[in-house]
Amino acid sequence: MSTSLAAAPAATSRRRAPEPPKRTAAERWKRRGPLLPALLITILLTQLPLLGTLYYSLRSQNLLRPETNGFAGLSNYATVLGDEYFRAAVVNTLVLTASTVVLSMALGIAFAVLLDKKFLGRGVVRTLLITPFLVMPAAAALLWKHAMFNPLFGMLNWLLSVFGVDKIDWVSQFPMPSIVLMLTWQWTPFMMLIVLAGLQSQSTEILEAARVDGAGAWATFRRITLPHLRRFIELAILLGSIFVVQTFDPIFLITQGGPGQATTNLPFLIYQTTFRAFEVGEAAAAGVIVVVGTIVIATFALRVISSLFQEET
Amino acid sequence: MATVSYQQATRFYPGADAPAVDGLDIDIADGEFLVLVGPSGCGKSTSLRMLAGLEDVDEGTIRIGDRDVTGLAPGKRDVAMVFQSYALYPHMSVAENMGFALEMAKVPKDERIRRVREAARILDLESYLDRKPKALSGGQRQRVAMGRAIVREPQAFLMDEPLSNLDAKLRVSTRSQIAELQRRLGVTTVYVTHDQVEAMTMGDRVAVLKDGVLQQCDTPLGLYRRPANAFVAGFIGSPAMNIREFTVTDGHARIGELDVPLSRATHTQLAREDSDRVLLGFRPESVELVGPTEGYPVAVRLVEELGADTYLYGSVIGAAELNGPDIVARIAVDHTPSIGDTVHLRVRPGQEHAFSPVTGVRLE
Repeated sequence: MSTSLAAAPAATSRRRAPEPPKRTAAERWKRRGPLLPALLITILLTQLPLLGTLYYSLRSQNLLRPETNGFAGLSNYATVLGDEYFRAAVVNTLVLTASTVVLSMALGIAFAVLLDKKFLGRGVVRTLLITPFLVMPAAAALLWKHAMFNPLFGMLNWLLSVFGVDKIDWVSQFPMPSIVLMLTWQWTPFMMLIVLAGLQSQSTEILEAARVDGAGAWATFRRITLPHLRRFIELAILLGSIFVVQTFDPIFLITQGGPGQATTNLPFLIYQTTFRAFEVGEAAAAGVIVVVGTIVIATFALRVISSLFQEET
Repeated sequence: MATVSYQQATRFYPGADAPAVDGLDIDIADGEFLVLVGPSGCGKSTSLRMLAGLEDVDEGTIRIGDRDVTGLAPGKRDVAMVFQSYALYPHMSVAENMGFALEMAKVPKDERIRRVREAARILDLESYLDRKPKALSGGQRQRVAMGRAIVREPQAFLMDEPLSNLDAKLRVSTRSQIAELQRRLGVTTVYVTHDQVEAMTMGDRVAVLKDGVLQQCDTPLGLYRRPANAFVAGFIGSPAMNIREFTVTDGHARIGELDVPLSRATHTQLAREDSDRVLLGFRPESVELVGPTEGYPVAVRLVEELGADTYLYGSVIGAAELNGPDIVARIAVDHTPSIGDTVHLRVRPGQEHAFSPVTGVRLE
């Protein structure tokens, strides 16, 4: 042993990992082949509709006047962007999404903090709190329209009558707050679940260290827990915004976008343009604008949120 | 800086049969370094957490200085704790980590910065003050955790196995640094570890716990020389003391062909317990090699050469009582026998320990 060590050459050439073996084209395709059907289906289901939408957005296409069909260039985009209804719908969508996401996130954090504590019947409470998220959106919308908002027999008015508040016609007098209320009810569990996952991933030793350091409950939450939750809150806000922007069921079922245009958001406007006005080209152009706008705003929002919190890690 | 005292402090965990800590009584002097040591599950961490206020005290009281802190919130006890995982706040820089407790205590900013700088200087962390814990090595994180305790200038330091996440070499050097730092600052310290070498080297006094009960609290040498019972005897010292049970006849313990005389006091105590058996123990380092006509013949089964010492594992020939695990003996390096040899060993007179087989208590 020792002799062979001593006899080893002083300057050996540096050893290299062996080169990965080159694969032939046939071999490579054998490996990729099984993935192809899934890829094809994905392209078929996601990319073709997008391409179709792009195609229609460049055409003048009205189902009631087939004689005017033809290539229209970017005129659909110009029409849509110049349309005051479209701009009103953009504002409505922003208001609806922002209010819903902010409210449901605030409530979600509150509920998650409560559910993170141990108490009798926590499992039951947790299940009950998640239920709104499990109810079908259309069913939930009908439930709120009749059981909650109805001016004559709705539960909201019954509850307020205890405090001496007169009957309110929720959907007519406060259309947007009504929709936001209903959506907040529906999305709070989603936010709560993600924040709860974040809370439960927090090290108990760090919380104990904060207690020994003399931090009270509020200081611990604000200085230790909230920075830890940052990534979870970001994720929840991003996913929540993407879903809430697409809201259609409650608007269709509760307000029909009304009164007037008060609750017409982009999905409902596009629906109206396609199936009420049969302006397929304009609807397609609006759809494309919405997709681009969503991507831009989501990216921007994520940056803003990130800079709001101090960086963890 | 202050004294710390546990007075019959007891903690029951809900649903457990026995208390996790049972009637703990320790008085820690001002500036003393006390180590709580014991096997896992012995209640040493629970005792420390009771002092920190992270665990309720079900019976008894805990006092820091002349204050009864039994029901006080952790933040109001004026103690600083170093956790096993260090528990650094991941989103705060080293300086913010160390200054957090001062910020919570509403210490003015200038004073805060001064104290953080001072602690960083002591711990050699000055160039890392702006880093996040993630960008530090294990040893540096450990020092930040220490720094977080130091800046507070608290009544007492509580340390819960602060070295167990370091590699062996760093652990040894950090061990002496902590002990030295504690002596320099003179802050009363309670230190939890499962490592008896840490306990022996760091503590002014060491408290050995088992099953939530304090077995003995003494200086490291006191524990080593006069273990209060068979458990402490087996726990303190490495390799562990050889302890076996023997029959007593006519005032002697019969081991193989030889009779080992027992002291009169040992006798009286055994008679009081109406026991005809005794636990005898000797440390591996209390053994010496003797000529072929003396001592006990031992068949060598295994030899461990560590360089400075040689440990010999074997069984005494012709002593059925000593069957079971091999006895361990430390011998001089220049007399190393080979495996399979027979050597003659003797325990140096006065270095054997006797314990009651019933209660395990030391017999004089």
